Amino acid sequence: MMNIGEEKADSVVIVAIEGRVDGLTAPELENRISEIVDRGDVQVLLNCAGMTYVSSAGLRIFLTGARKCQQNGGKLMICSLQPDCKSVIETSGFHTVIDCHDTREAALAAAS
Amino acid sequence: MLTFVDEILLLMLDDEKGSFLPIRESTMGYVLAGAVLMDLAFANRIDTDPNQLMVLDKTPIGHSPHDRILENIATSNETRDTKAWIETISREAGEIRDQSLASLVDTGILESQEEKFLWVFRARRYPTIDGRAEREVKLRITGVLLSDETPDPKDVAIICLADACNILRDVFSEREISRIRPRIDQIRKLDLIGREVSGAIQEIEQAIMAAMTHAHH
Repeated sequence: MMNIGEEKADSVVIVAIEGRVDGLTAPELENRISEIVDRGDVQVLLNCAGMTYVSSAGLRIFLTGARKCQQNGGKLMICSLQPDCKSVIETSGFHTVIDCHDTREAALAAAS
Repeated sequence: MLTFVDEILLLMLDDEKGSFLPIRESTMGYVLAGAVLMDLAFANRIDTDPNQLMVLDKTPIGHSPHDRILENIATSNETRDTKAWIETISREAGEIRDQSLASLVDTGILESQEEKFLWVFRARRYPTIDGRAEREVKLRITGVLLSDETPDPKDVAIICLADACNILRDVFSEREISRIRPRIDQIRKLDLIGREVSGAIQEIEQAIMAAMTHAHH
């Protein structure tokens, strides 16, 4: 199960993820990021405070989303990872290609 | 559309001679097993995390070795991680390779030639007759490795496989490889299956080195 919330802070669209991002739920997240970028919002922050699990399929969607934002002149960021998910992100080196911040505030400050 | 198995085999072949670049058999086995799992993962049939490999959907993808392997994983009673499946699937590398080569011959990318040497032994060679597919793969690889752009996950996967069997030296000069090594190391971590393939190959190489050192003393 995964729920996605969405809000905007200045030019940044904050996508709040709750639950598991895996092979079953990742396509929904991919579609949501795609929709956001396609409507012209290219600064996207994935707030992962409620994300309890991320699989390889989920990580691929993070990468696809980051690439799409970059190709449209924007940026995808991640914030507030729980320890287990943070460990997965760091082991796989995703933090070297996607900006990860400890808090939503830090991410928004970096985006401004 | 080419599979990861097709793409990595094209990179493993010497275009003109049609023979395989010098790659250890165990390495080829692990790389082809990883390529099959990547094909299944990108077709949303399996998913992985550091602890396990899971089947999402048993629907065949239309490639016989892949579909048989998917069926085997789906009907397996035990939960196993990606590395364990890579080791199991690597035992079928010969069949995976032969079926992909046959498909590449059917689609007019390779041609199959049999040659005799020492008047008795026969060897099959696969010279390239349409190099567009391989050139496109090499372009994708160079595009990612020579830039700082966020890579496409599919390009990440093929770079992982190519680096695992050390055939990026056929795309770049030694000097270029030294220069872009940090980028290669960054990219190859991004795919869990690719990481497990590299890890399995490293273990074998370390075991061989240890055995050689032991024999030497």
